[in-house]
Amino acid sequence: MNLAKIRKNLTGYFFLAPFIIGFLVFGLYPVINTLALSFTDTTLMSGHSHFIWLDNFKRLFADDVFLRAVGNTWLIWILNFIPQIGIALLLSVLFTSIRLKIKAVGLWRAIFFLPNLLMPAAVAALFNALFAYYGPANQFMVRAGYLPEAMRFLESIWVTRGLVIFIQWWTWFGQTLIIVMAGMTSIPVHLYEAAMVDGASAWQMFRQITLPLLKPILIFVFVTSLVGGMQMFDIPFLLTDGRGSPLSSIQTNNILMYMKFASSKGHIGAASSVGVLIFIMTSICALGIFYFLRDRDLDAPKTTGKQLLKKNPERSQS
Amino acid sequence: MRKSVFVFLSLLVVASVLLVACGTTTPAPAATDAPVATNAPAATDAPAATDAPVTELEGTLNVWSFTNEIKTMAIAFQGRHPKVKVVYTMIPMTNGEYQTKVKAASGTADSPDVVALEAAFVKEWVESDLLANLNDLVPLTKELKTYPAVIQVGTYEGVTKGFSYQATPGAFFYRRSIAKECLGTDDPEKVQAMVADMDKFVETAAKIKACGTGDYYTVGSGAELFTPFLANRAQPWVVDGKLVIDPKIVEYVHFAKMMRDNGYESGATQWTEGWFAGMNDTLKDANGTSKKVFSYFLPTWGLPYVLSPNSTPKDGGGAGTGGDWAMVNGPMSYQWGGTWVGVLEGSPNSELAKEFVKFVALDEENLTNWATGVYTNEYLKAIDPTTPDDQAQAAGDFVSSQFVVEKITSSFDNSTLSEFLGGENSYGAFAQAAPSVDGSFLTGSDDAIQRALNDPLAAYLSGTMTEAEMWAAWLDAVRNEFPDLIIPEPPVK
Repeated sequence: MNLAKIRKNLTGYFFLAPFIIGFLVFGLYPVINTLALSFTDTTLMSGHSHFIWLDNFKRLFADDVFLRAVGNTWLIWILNFIPQIGIALLLSVLFTSIRLKIKAVGLWRAIFFLPNLLMPAAVAALFNALFAYYGPANQFMVRAGYLPEAMRFLESIWVTRGLVIFIQWWTWFGQTLIIVMAGMTSIPVHLYEAAMVDGASAWQMFRQITLPLLKPILIFVFVTSLVGGMQMFDIPFLLTDGRGSPLSSIQTNNILMYMKFASSKGHIGAASSVGVLIFIMTSICALGIFYFLRDRDLDAPKTTGKQLLKKNPERSQS
Repeated sequence: MRKSVFVFLSLLVVASVLLVACGTTTPAPAATDAPVATNAPAATDAPAATDAPVTELEGTLNVWSFTNEIKTMAIAFQGRHPKVKVVYTMIPMTNGEYQTKVKAASGTADSPDVVALEAAFVKEWVESDLLANLNDLVPLTKELKTYPAVIQVGTYEGVTKGFSYQATPGAFFYRRSIAKECLGTDDPEKVQAMVADMDKFVETAAKIKACGTGDYYTVGSGAELFTPFLANRAQPWVVDGKLVIDPKIVEYVHFAKMMRDNGYESGATQWTEGWFAGMNDTLKDANGTSKKVFSYFLPTWGLPYVLSPNSTPKDGGGAGTGGDWAMVNGPMSYQWGGTWVGVLEGSPNSELAKEFVKFVALDEENLTNWATGVYTNEYLKAIDPTTPDDQAQAAGDFVSSQFVVEKITSSFDNSTLSEFLGGENSYGAFAQAAPSVDGSFLTGSDDAIQRALNDPLAAYLSGTMTEAEMWAAWLDAVRNEFPDLIIPEPPVK
């Protein structure tokens, strides 16, 4: 009888094994290896390396290049995340509203998701060409009289940052919309019906029903977007010169790391130290989000994702 | 309520769809890869691979490069050694992708056997332990009279690790029609006298501007002059682990600012659409006013790969500028670019790889064929039917062997390129400049140091940064890429 139980457990472990092994080899090992590398002066171009304690980290704080990159990353992420989650929430409310009953929701959603399918490289190259000094944006703006003379868009800090923020928002709000909408449709309709019977306004329903029940989903969106945002690379890298031009204003953490990795001898030790600091920073922030958005009243009857899932079939029938 | 919601949704859709449509239909601009000229001269007969080599080579060779040029040679190599298969990989080096990719691949199972290395970063590799010793190929250079600078660049501490098929002295190309209109003559000797040094060059630039009432620019981009200034430094970038800011660098920065402020340059970024548009007279400012560019600083390869292919407008409109160009030495002698080939240490095919390097850079027949336009599409397709249609190598690339150069110079007297230059034989002019080229100032750190200057310099030129801020920003950037380099005080504080 016991043997049967063990065998049953073994089967479970057997099915888990591919993921665990994959995680250890491709997930955990690189993290530990990066940490180890960050204490050395390893380069790609020479065979030998030395243990140099914290020198790589000290150098990062010797001038403001690293802190500027961190600042850029946060700035670009926050300015893209606020409108992204805002628009996603607004659209989700509109799409799921039982008062408005908007038609062809699936079609709208698919259209908003489309930009996400574009290659970041193509998008970046497109915007680079559009906003070049002799590019169409200038031709249009000047001839239409919006600008007195051609402007160097990609040499202006705020235009360039704005473009990165816009592209990030534009390619990702569809994705966020889908997730948020999935969360909203899983909220039982009878709660809204009851609220409407009690004469609640749309805002009251949103504030008192939607938001609390959407919290698990919002935490998920928040954390994944944060992790993605801290690793932002492709668009800012490809939009200008691959070094965060102009004036390093779109030089993100990952671009700085890549520059150290790619420069002359390939200083992977120095690049790893940037990676380690990004890892620590992102981890602290993600844990912080979980902590501050945790369920504070554990005694009260919880309506969390788990329970929502149970109620789901009920809703689909209604 | 519902109506306004619908309007709002529609607006978002319009924004999404419009941009998506743009994204899918507008081809991404090819930033730096110089288009290969397709106007190959008359084909010679099918490949003559019949003079059998002494030992039949066989095997598979992995070759990586950053343009498709060497692919032509790889096909020709397969023509000579039919049992050899060359697997060719092209990775563009727009923002340093190629350099990073090769670095990351070396020493792994994906490592190529042969790598192409551009002048900007060849020294990094020659100074490292990653390239194999090719000293036993050096004796071949004697007979070919390979230009000394070419060998010098490929050598570090007495060990030669790379060879090039090109020598790359630089020149100054100008528009004959504008010279006639603004300077009163288009005669190369007289024009050379007007741009003989930097002071005269600036005087001429002022004349060009005045004569075109502001619609004529002297150069497409001030950045073109960076290489000439670099070539005339007294010291390389790095001496004894210390960054050296040569007075020529400071001079260049001031010069570039002066060119921009006075409107002597078009303001286009090098290797972008606007810069190329000046070559075929389709440059228009934002108001739609036509602008003309008088001259371009380009080296040997710039003529067949950059200037000539871009002299006809891309959309077919307009006559193009072929025949209206002339070439002189310009205010400073310099060299620019060039591609070296080396064998990666530990390559399992090192002997075959060495043969390939020998064929590419040290083979009289190959170099002759390369420079004289023998590698036509028909020739290449006879060896490998899958060859793309634009693979042909037009005549005119300047090769590294003085012996070959002397042999073939006269064949360019009536060539397409000479017609392009209004009858001038560019090959002969380059042949005079090539022996004096000096490669000793290249160091492994050049690429990263120079690229770090672009962004602060652009900010200084457009006025968003002061000169002191520019130097500080550049030195910060260099410090962050070279943990061990000693950084001097900025020239201006």
